[in-house]
Amino acid sequence: MFFFKKYQGLAIAFVFIVASLVLLSYHLKRPGQVGFFKKTVMETASPIEKGIHSTFQGIKSLWDRYLFLVGLENENRDLRKKIADLQNEINSYREMYYEVGRLKKILSLDETILYSTVAARVISNERSSLFKTIIIEKGTDDGLSEGLPVITQQGIVGRIIESSWNVSRVLLVTDYNSNIDALVQGSRAQGILQGGGPQLSRLKYVQRTDEVKTGDTVVTSGLGGVFPKGLVLGTIATAEKRETGLFQHVEVMPAVDFTRLEEVLVIIPERSKEKRK
Amino acid sequence: MIFYPLSLLLAFSVIVLQRTFVDLLFAGKIGLELSLILVIFAGFHFEQVRGGIFAMVTGFLFDCLSGAVMGLYTFFYVVVFFLTRLLTDRIYSEQMFFIMIFTFLCVLFEGLYIVVLYKSVFDVNMSYNLYRVFLPQALVAGVLSPALFAGLNYLEVLFHAGDRRSTEPL
Repeated sequence: MFFFKKYQGLAIAFVFIVASLVLLSYHLKRPGQVGFFKKTVMETASPIEKGIHSTFQGIKSLWDRYLFLVGLENENRDLRKKIADLQNEINSYREMYYEVGRLKKILSLDETILYSTVAARVISNERSSLFKTIIIEKGTDDGLSEGLPVITQQGIVGRIIESSWNVSRVLLVTDYNSNIDALVQGSRAQGILQGGGPQLSRLKYVQRTDEVKTGDTVVTSGLGGVFPKGLVLGTIATAEKRETGLFQHVEVMPAVDFTRLEEVLVIIPERSKEKRK
Repeated sequence: MIFYPLSLLLAFSVIVLQRTFVDLLFAGKIGLELSLILVIFAGFHFEQVRGGIFAMVTGFLFDCLSGAVMGLYTFFYVVVFFLTRLLTDRIYSEQMFFIMIFTFLCVLFEGLYIVVLYKSVFDVNMSYNLYRVFLPQALVAGVLSPALFAGLNYLEVLFHAGDRRSTEPL
């Protein structure tokens, strides 16, 4: 009894530390597992976080709309000119698109999988966090599940890593744990795009012999089975061939502005086309 | 018994606040981990079992919402709580300067823990974040900690006053 009283404090600390250590090591072996408690916490927090974000967004848009109207007319003129230029560009791309379609048919390279998308609003985007994830307001009830790719019109945002009933967590391409098989659009150089957290992402394993230059677009290769082929990941910021080593040191600027994410699209593989006879 | 639901509510509110309001306030440049400061405060003021449960629950909630590996913050918060308890028994810990230094060191220690864990388990090099993310974070947390401690002290006094009123015979 005396022994227990003397070391009671130590014993209590030991029990707590061991219990939390067991929790940590269990999840280190099984990352991405979403238990009932975690789902409940996510579901409870999401409406509150959504409310706070909406309030801030409302205040911000009010500020943007009414207090920064100076120079709007000039901006409008510039934008109209830009639209006209882009319209011409779209026409030429449309021509190319039809041409590629015809060529694909000739070469029998038609796609075998079709995709549909689900739009979702971003309800939490903690920018200062070391772990680059966002929470979107769609979950398993809307047909989402772990592993689905998430995009915007700018390019790839990331993939779903946790899904609750009404919300899902998306691992951004900038997170350290994100690794995506990628291609450099022009040279077709292949590599793995790894997130760099607050730094630029890195395109790893690019051969020294490959031609890679600043400004080249990096797209998904379609290998790995998570992301469809040809979606924009970013542009090459620096490409350096160091004195030693088999590979180049390539840094990539992500295509998506993660600080301004409001809505995203989740890609859901819909159905397989009938195989060609 | 009111302690447990109240502390759960407090921990949850603080974590949601730090993920939304504080993040927006600092424009996403610097993260201020209010939950860690709360656990340090608990280390100075709560007894072992209550405080241990509180630290564990706070860490667990933060794990659920931060997107980190489950248990990462639970383990760290429990360690920080008992470390703080260990110090409280030995030195006078109510001095402002001591609180600042101790909070600063805890945030830095947390950074080091995350960097080492991610390197050893996932082979991900996050060392860049030590001076780029954790050092400014530790400085901000250290500077603001006395004010946050004062606020929490005030809350604690309010809580005890309410507690005493509810137990007094009519």
